[in-house]
Amino acid sequence: MENYVPFLMVAFILFAIGAIGVLVRRNFFVVLMSLEIMINSAGLVFVILSYFSGTVSGQVFFIFVAAVAASETAVGLAIAVLMYRVRHTVDVTEFSMMKR
Amino acid sequence: MTSMEAIIFAIVSLIAVVGALGLVFAKNPYHSALWMVFSFVGLAGLLALLEAYFLTVLQLIVYAGAIVVMIAFVMMTIDFRKVGGLSKFVPQWLWGLIISFGILIDLFILASKMKIDVSQSGKNLAIAGSNTKALGMELFTHYLFPFELVAIILLVALIGVVVLTKREIK
Repeated sequence: MENYVPFLMVAFILFAIGAIGVLVRRNFFVVLMSLEIMINSAGLVFVILSYFSGTVSGQVFFIFVAAVAASETAVGLAIAVLMYRVRHTVDVTEFSMMKR
Repeated sequence: MTSMEAIIFAIVSLIAVVGALGLVFAKNPYHSALWMVFSFVGLAGLLALLEAYFLTVLQLIVYAGAIVVMIAFVMMTIDFRKVGGLSKFVPQWLWGLIISFGILIDLFILASKMKIDVSQSGKNLAIAGSNTKALGMELFTHYLFPFELVAIILLVALIGVVVLTKREIK
């Protein structure tokens, strides 16, 4: 395999779809899941460039990305539970306590 | 790329993209979680095509297994009948779409302009036929300090989550 552009295109399309989900959806859980897609596509770019430049370092960075994504999801879910307890909703447009 | 590889690439990338689209546009958040599994399985296929076999299994276990189960469990503790009347999109959804397409076009231009040296393509990814061995050697010789830092990040996230969700005992 010599042509890396199709792989990069797939990763970037996934990133854009995740960005649409983060910016457009109302439900905080769907926003978190879309964020997961975005992080995963960024990690995929690491692996693609690792394969085509012939070093294994990019794969190591995918592990770091995965670990940070897991902790980010845990903290995000804790915030979701907390906001549900305080505001009784998971609507991101209702999360505006810091504006007042 | 041989024709067989091209066919497999088309199938797995289609699975990944369709799964992501289903995640974003599904009405029910539980369906979104299932679409996320679908998308991650496609991504694992892409990783396997790039000969990152350890990361393929990591993707299936950590993402398609653990993270989806975590999100689904937390969603089950929340009463979605109360938020059932929630409309799908925020009022500013058009701006979100415009910004996302802007990002996409920007990244496509970047991909078309980017030049990397592909003479080493597909080499050095395995020691004695084992991708896991090569990865472990790289991780524990060149990236030992970042590895420890990631361990600290995980610990901080663990403590932070416990502190955030703890109820005050009266």
